[in-house]
Amino acid sequence: MSDRNSLVDTELSRHTFTVERGKIRELALAIGDDNPVYTDPEYARSLGYRDVIAPPTFGTCIDLWGGLDFMELCRKLQLNPVNVLHGGQDYEYYGAIYPGDVIEACSVLKKQLHKSKMSILILETTYRNQNGDTVLTCRKTIIERGQVQ
Amino acid sequence: MKTEVYFDDFQISDQLPPLTKPPIDQIQLVKYAGASGDFNPLHYMPEIGQMAGTGGVIAHGMLIMGFAGQAVAGWIPNRYLTRFSVRFVGMTKLGDTITVTGTITGKREEQEFGIITGEVIAADQNGEIKLKGTFEASLPKR
Repeated sequence: MSDRNSLVDTELSRHTFTVERGKIRELALAIGDDNPVYTDPEYARSLGYRDVIAPPTFGTCIDLWGGLDFMELCRKLQLNPVNVLHGGQDYEYYGAIYPGDVIEACSVLKKQLHKSKMSILILETTYRNQNGDTVLTCRKTIIERGQVQ
Repeated sequence: MKTEVYFDDFQISDQLPPLTKPPIDQIQLVKYAGASGDFNPLHYMPEIGQMAGTGGVIAHGMLIMGFAGQAVAGWIPNRYLTRFSVRFVGMTKLGDTITVTGTITGKREEQEFGIITGEVIAADQNGEIKLKGTFEASLPKR
């Protein structure tokens, strides 16, 4: 556990992810979100977008399909997967994400706190598109519970 | 289909139209695992749930945030949304029916735009809260 402190403020992953129309649609369908702005380019254009856009929680697809998946993240942060809970997620939006965008996501472990038998980790990710514009940032709270007896 | 939304349309303590989702089934969790890439076995292997003390399979927190995001983007078009933040406060089980509710909690005027803030809650059929969050949007004035 003490080793993990040395990871604070270091880059955990940097990767690029090409946004596909099918992945946007797949996420919308999995959520059961029928907003046509995610699936119908004509509709999206009628709203002034140049194509369909990604839903508000699409950043998770970029993280898990493009960068560290859950098991890799656990290995990197020395977490026992069975004791890991997702405490929260905080997104800030700066621009739309479109099919064909090439997003570079960079994740940093910002903080580690200990509370009774729990560790709380704050992971910050910045997402930039191919034009160098930051389109999204995310602060993710990961909770590691004490060992289950 | 295009309906414009303005800062002036929202008042503090306005209740936004609730969104009730169909009960969560195993297929939805499998679909969500594939779509998101979250293959934590807690979400599809009941025996892992037993080991972790959750009493079986639980839904992905981000799926519930996805439900909340569906509601939020139904209230306020995506282009105006500047922040969406949630805490996961309860585990969602198979068969749970989630309803997302929202309330406007704040308004402030900037030069050309108006900023609104709101609270979003996702709760199950018994009123047990699963997710609590906030959103912020920068809207045009009429």
